[in-house]
Amino acid sequence: MEHEETYLLMMDALDGELAEAQHSELEAHLRACPSCLQEWQALLAVHTLLQQTPALSPAVDFAQRTLARLPNRRVRIWTLTAIYALLLLGGILPLALAVWLVFILRPVLSEPTILSSISQSIGQALQVMGTIVWALLAGLGEMVVQQPAIVGWLLVLLGIISIWGGVSRQLIFQTSPRQTS
Amino acid sequence: MNEEQVWLEQARQGDKAAFGKLIEAYQTPVYNLAYRMLNNAGEAEEAAQEAFIRAYTRLDSYNPEHKFSTWMLSITSNYCIDLIRKRRALLLSIDEPLPPHPALMSDNSKGPEAQVVMNEQQAMVQTLLQELPEDYRQTVVLRYWYDLSYDEIADMMDTTVSAIKSRLFRARRLLAEVGQEAGLDPVRDSAALTAVS
Repeated sequence: MEHEETYLLMMDALDGELAEAQHSELEAHLRACPSCLQEWQALLAVHTLLQQTPALSPAVDFAQRTLARLPNRRVRIWTLTAIYALLLLGGILPLALAVWLVFILRPVLSEPTILSSISQSIGQALQVMGTIVWALLAGLGEMVVQQPAIVGWLLVLLGIISIWGGVSRQLIFQTSPRQTS
Repeated sequence: MNEEQVWLEQARQGDKAAFGKLIEAYQTPVYNLAYRMLNNAGEAEEAAQEAFIRAYTRLDSYNPEHKFSTWMLSITSNYCIDLIRKRRALLLSIDEPLPPHPALMSDNSKGPEAQVVMNEQQAMVQTLLQELPEDYRQTVVLRYWYDLSYDEIADMMDTTVSAIKSRLFRARRLLAEVGQEAGLDPVRDSAALTAVS
């Protein structure tokens, strides 16, 4: 039997899933192969240690202190419901208003001159937005090309702020009084 | 509907006292998992509290078809993995001596000799576990302290059963190797052979 095959049998044996016929197969190999026996002895030692080590409990007042930290679920449920309702109304109301206006102004809006002027206005608005976005991107590109040092320093600064933010949070976390009694 | 399901339903309605019953029932497995993963009593308690708070705020997403204990352990182990990764990202030393677990220091129910042996055993376990990568450690802890099946562990860790088997296989061999280096006595020949059958 190959060593790797033996290792798999050892794992099954540790999990208590070794088939009856494989017991004697593994035992025979272990009797004949000192290196596999040594591996099995070490595995068994760790397995026994882990199995015999009891779970650790928290401090006695852990449950009370955790309970005191729980947020108010009822308030949270009501707040979320109110936010969803407002968002829903915020979307539905303008839509309903627009539909109502279109319905009322239907005779006026259906005139060809009004329709063409509306489409023109929409086209112009899109053009203006495109120009603004393009100018912003071009400006950013110019800055990267012409002032790479400034951009580099800004990135370094952001990195430093981010690292120190993390470090200070960790320091505060570590130095806060332990709640275990 | 059993007692636990009643508490869960009441907690869903915002009853903190009902959730308190669940905390009392699961505080040891949750804390133990956090301690085995983080190897620091203060951080473990903070992580265990955070896991309960997360569970409470996300009760609506809990699927009652699964065991509550498995869901709780899943939240805890994922939170601990996040903490370990953040800790590594901060490049802070984790090799500084850590305080022993308070329960071990204050447990007077055993005699002093038994207490010393237990402390050494717990210290050895923590030494060995810290040698494992976090996903191996997570698998070992879930398998040994919670007796979860490969299916349950794979489900919790969002991976396949074969991946879990492979992790446990490698983790056990690594632990055996480190155990020998750390002075863990191997099982004697006769006892080792008896253990096979």
